Amino acid sequence: MQFKDSQSSSDKTFRRVRRKVEDVKGLSITSLLDALTIILVFLIKNVSFDSVKLSSEKDIRYPTTITNDLLREKAEATSVKVFTDKILLGNESLNFGNPRDLLESPDKRKAIFQFLEMEAHAIYANNPADVEACLVIQADNFIPCSYISEIIKIGTSVGYTHIYFATLQDTDWLQKETLAAAR
Amino acid sequence: MARYRPSEMRQQKAQTAPQEPNLVPIMNLFLTIIPFMLMFVVISQVALVALNFSQGEGGGGSSGGGGGGANIEKVEIIILDSDYAKKNQFLGFEVREPGMDTKMLPAVNENYDFVALDKQLKSIRDRKADLIDITVTVYPNVLYGDLMKTIDLSKANGFTQVHYNRPVVNYY
Repeated sequence: MQFKDSQSSSDKTFRRVRRKVEDVKGLSITSLLDALTIILVFLIKNVSFDSVKLSSEKDIRYPTTITNDLLREKAEATSVKVFTDKILLGNESLNFGNPRDLLESPDKRKAIFQFLEMEAHAIYANNPADVEACLVIQADNFIPCSYISEIIKIGTSVGYTHIYFATLQDTDWLQKETLAAAR
Repeated sequence: MARYRPSEMRQQKAQTAPQEPNLVPIMNLFLTIIPFMLMFVVISQVALVALNFSQGEGGGGSSGGGGGGANIEKVEIIILDSDYAKKNQFLGFEVREPGMDTKMLPAVNENYDFVALDKQLKSIRDRKADLIDITVTVYPNVLYGDLMKTIDLSKANGFTQVHYNRPVVNYY
């Protein structure tokens, strides 16, 4: 079949048929934007900008508690993370070896003492006089308390006036214990 | 009366269709912020339990948070461990209350009986409504989770000033 251009050809019986191309409409992202705005507001509401970075460690099995105490407003915190096989100190998570070293190695104990003392002094030196140093202990559920007691002892002796324990809030744990006891 | 023809400026309105605002930069911003904030959402799930220290407690702790001295009436919960149980054939809690007999709460299947402890704390609370100080003395082999539950129950029953203590052990 032969086609001829209508303008160049004098023969009017043939006309080139051109399909009309519809304009491509832009993708509407308004609804997506609405959803993102809602999520953003929700996240801003929930986010915590505490002075201490309290991220939950996936290798720590946190104890559960009903109560939740807020960190003091005028406080700077140092975190101590006690895993079953290691201790991480400070917000930089410096590895200070095995928890057993706390009880068995005087050198390791001295190193932890010096680190926490340095951190506490830095908090008091770099902040107004009313700011207090807090120690936040994040420990595994199955750590013997002898390690925790040792950390508390070191912490209080170097100038940390408040000790906090990181837990996961579960208001039903006692009810679960009651049910378990009933069985 | 002179008649004026319409101004030519009236004919010079914008001929183009109103443009939609360009949302792409805002979208980019949101898509950057949201994953970043999602990382922080985990943070707010961690709860905190505070301790109070009075002179001579907490392993040589300093005073703070309104911790009382030795003269303040306190309830004491002693969490006994497996080593104590080997010597004394008793595992569980020992609850000391001023003016009352010491109450022993035995463990059930080698698990501490927190339900019984809760009942005991509630009965103390009924007797002494104004008492807010409590001391938790913990033996070395007690697990951290059990210590936390004990402190938690104390706080949940209105003993907001929880003092930490341990049997004296010197390593230095």
